[in-house]
Amino acid sequence: MTRTSSSNDTRGLAGPRLRRVAEKLGGAVVVLFGAATAAFLAQAALPGDRATVILNIRAGQAIERTPAELAQINDQYGLQHPLLVQYIDYIRGLIVGDLGVSYQQFKPVSEVILQQIGPTIALTVTAIALAWLIMIVWVTLTAGRTGRFGGVGSVVDTTSAGLPHYWLGIILLLVFSLGLGWFPVISGPSLVGIVLPALTLAIPLAGFMGQATRTEFERSLEQPFVISARMRGMGDTGVRLRHVLRHSVLPAITLSGWALGATISGAVVVETVFSRPGIGKVLVGAVNSQDMPVVTGIVVLIAALYVVANLLVDVAYTLVDPRLKSA
Amino acid sequence: MSRKTTTATALIALGVVSALSLTACASGTAGTASSATKVDGGTIVYGHQQEPACVFGGWIEQAYLSSQVLDGLVSLDENHEVVPWLAESWNVSDDQLTWTFTLKDGVTFTDGSALTAGVVAYNFDYWLAGGNSTASVWLAGYYASAVAVDDLTLTVNLSKPYPRLADNLTQGYFGIQSQEALETRTDEENCEAPIGSGAFVVDTWNRGEDILLTRNEDYTSPPANAKHTGAAYVDSIDWKFVADPTTRAASLSAGETDVIYDVPAVQWKSLEAEGFDLQKYVTPGRPQQLTFNTSTGPFVDEDVRKAFAYSVDRKSLVETIGQGVIPYEGNGGVSQATPGYSQAAADLYSLDTDEADSLLDAAGWTGRDADGYRTKDGETLDVVLPYGAGTIINADGASILQGLQEQAKATGFKVELIPVPQSALFAGEYSQPDEKDISVGYWTAVTAGILAINWNQSTAEAPNYNNASFTNYPDLEAIILEANSTVDVDAQNALYEKAQEYIADHALAIGVYDRLSTLAVSPSLKDVWQENAQGGPVFYDAYFVE
Repeated sequence: MTRTSSSNDTRGLAGPRLRRVAEKLGGAVVVLFGAATAAFLAQAALPGDRATVILNIRAGQAIERTPAELAQINDQYGLQHPLLVQYIDYIRGLIVGDLGVSYQQFKPVSEVILQQIGPTIALTVTAIALAWLIMIVWVTLTAGRTGRFGGVGSVVDTTSAGLPHYWLGIILLLVFSLGLGWFPVISGPSLVGIVLPALTLAIPLAGFMGQATRTEFERSLEQPFVISARMRGMGDTGVRLRHVLRHSVLPAITLSGWALGATISGAVVVETVFSRPGIGKVLVGAVNSQDMPVVTGIVVLIAALYVVANLLVDVAYTLVDPRLKSA
Repeated sequence: MSRKTTTATALIALGVVSALSLTACASGTAGTASSATKVDGGTIVYGHQQEPACVFGGWIEQAYLSSQVLDGLVSLDENHEVVPWLAESWNVSDDQLTWTFTLKDGVTFTDGSALTAGVVAYNFDYWLAGGNSTASVWLAGYYASAVAVDDLTLTVNLSKPYPRLADNLTQGYFGIQSQEALETRTDEENCEAPIGSGAFVVDTWNRGEDILLTRNEDYTSPPANAKHTGAAYVDSIDWKFVADPTTRAASLSAGETDVIYDVPAVQWKSLEAEGFDLQKYVTPGRPQQLTFNTSTGPFVDEDVRKAFAYSVDRKSLVETIGQGVIPYEGNGGVSQATPGYSQAAADLYSLDTDEADSLLDAAGWTGRDADGYRTKDGETLDVVLPYGAGTIINADGASILQGLQEQAKATGFKVELIPVPQSALFAGEYSQPDEKDISVGYWTAVTAGILAINWNQSTAEAPNYNNASFTNYPDLEAIILEANSTVDVDAQNALYEKAQEYIADHALAIGVYDRLSTLAVSPSLKDVWQENAQGGPVFYDAYFVE
């Protein structure tokens, strides 16, 4: 957090605010550039010749290819150039918004992503929202309790935080879709179909955020302002919801930025189990087939989403904790 | 996610399914036996396991899709006879070098252009020029040119006799596309929605989800082995991609899909008990087999190869893990569904550890290291076996390989099983002779001509990277090439059998199990069948009953 000097403050708010925006944007560009470079290098470091991969994937055969076959593909995608030239071409493309053309689907990467990003964002946002809902209800009900019920809260947090997505997904699918018939087995992009996939992502996430929130929650319960509120005659639930909760959710807000990445990686598994379209499935397919333009495109996109999420986390911080507004 | 976890969870899940199915499925799918009446229209929801990049291309996933949309010149019937499709008749010149195909009159592609001999000739050249690498592999070495004599007469000129040309053309890779579409549309358009004259047309492809195929109302060109003529009975096919096998089976039980592909062996019996029609097709061609690297490493010695073959009980392993669904295959050359199959070659090796031990002793592998593996001059009998995990070898296959590893240990082989992810595999990792001692894999085909692809010599002018033994066997090649060009079917099969026996006698490759195409079909859907070239689902004749 940068603190501005008082001399700046006298000139009005426009200066520092602009500078902060510029700093944030600069940071975002650095992050995106770094992600793009890392994705490029990681893919370039993979074993094997890329033209061979492209041909073998198209044919479903794992064999060596003749120079004539390779030359055609190298020429088409510029793979005969030195890696540095390919890298410069790639970065230049990114700057003008050209992510390249998929090796396997013959179409622009931007189109591949645009077709798939919607369902994944819907899934991710729903999952994070559900995780918050589950976490708040559970923590508010159970934190700081003593007696027999005392330990249950945090045990449930820890257990659910460790549930593997694949296992949880299959169990939810078999119980609620196949057994009870409440939800479709093949989710597709439908509205009702989002519930189980989102829950699959939300339950471990809620456990994870719950662990962080519970500690803060229990610490806040012992603060003087809680005692004074109680002395004013406020009921337990009121105290928990109106005073304590607000103090305890800051770590969870920070985690939400991270959660975006976690849910996108979880989406890979969940989209497969529930047969949902989405970017996670495309990413797996693209990595498997070394469809490099698609992989790098998605990595850059996820980096961009991270940047946006972190900006939102900053905003949320200031809303929840007004003391940070002056910063 | 590792395969092991997947299998374990699937087993847990299966337990839950069986518990639930007692209550949930009673009201479900069974019970359409009596008074079923045929209904017109409807949408077949089909759950397939893998989404290819394009509707048309060189591997089996694409062949299944393209055969819904593209008609072939010829089709294969259930007796393995070639029957008319777009070609009404065909004949071969006496010197076996000129094939003449007479096309059906009045067939149009779904873009309105006409099917002519010129268009078909264009398709041949297009495959050979890289339009379809698998089609090209089948024709390479034989194809010279394709010429349109008139609108409906095509001649295909060969450089060498190839009497099973028509058989090979029945595979889905040889679907005929509109020349106008190939010439005027972009690669992307032809990839996503190739234009053929088939019973269905690609309507929309929702990537990651499904492809909607709609009925070609003006369809006039079904293959001769179809059950009816005219347009398909159903309005459309919703070709969904459901990667997870547990989800696929669950979707069928829940009535969300009408047909699913690739039924896991563990779910076979329970789906059958629920009243689904289970269909199984053993693909002809190369079975899942082990080919020994005979150019370098311990398997250069024929006795060591034979010792390995005697060390393993492939049959009981496959029968145990395959639960009676996956057939055992002893033949390392071709599968039992292939014409010209040699039972003698398949039966040559079975578990005989005494024989394996004496062969290894004779070969000088007499020492033992601390773990009990055999050694020779201080070197351990270490063999590297990489396999395409999750792609070429599925979960059942991986378990079978683990069983082989365990069995071979008894006679002193240290088998290093290396699961290779798809990207690394297709990038050429473990493709070199110094990187592996055993190659594993399959290759679907309709004739034993697959032997030529797998065993022809690799030369500077014509490299053959499909020969996994990495050694040229001129004697074997001579037999196969002679077979490929032999007109009389019995004589040809005798030669193909001789080739398989050569492979077995020299222990160049041993079979393990047959590759399957399986379907589970809802009882409310009738007349779904598996085409006979590669086992793909045929929905043209299918109809719903009430």
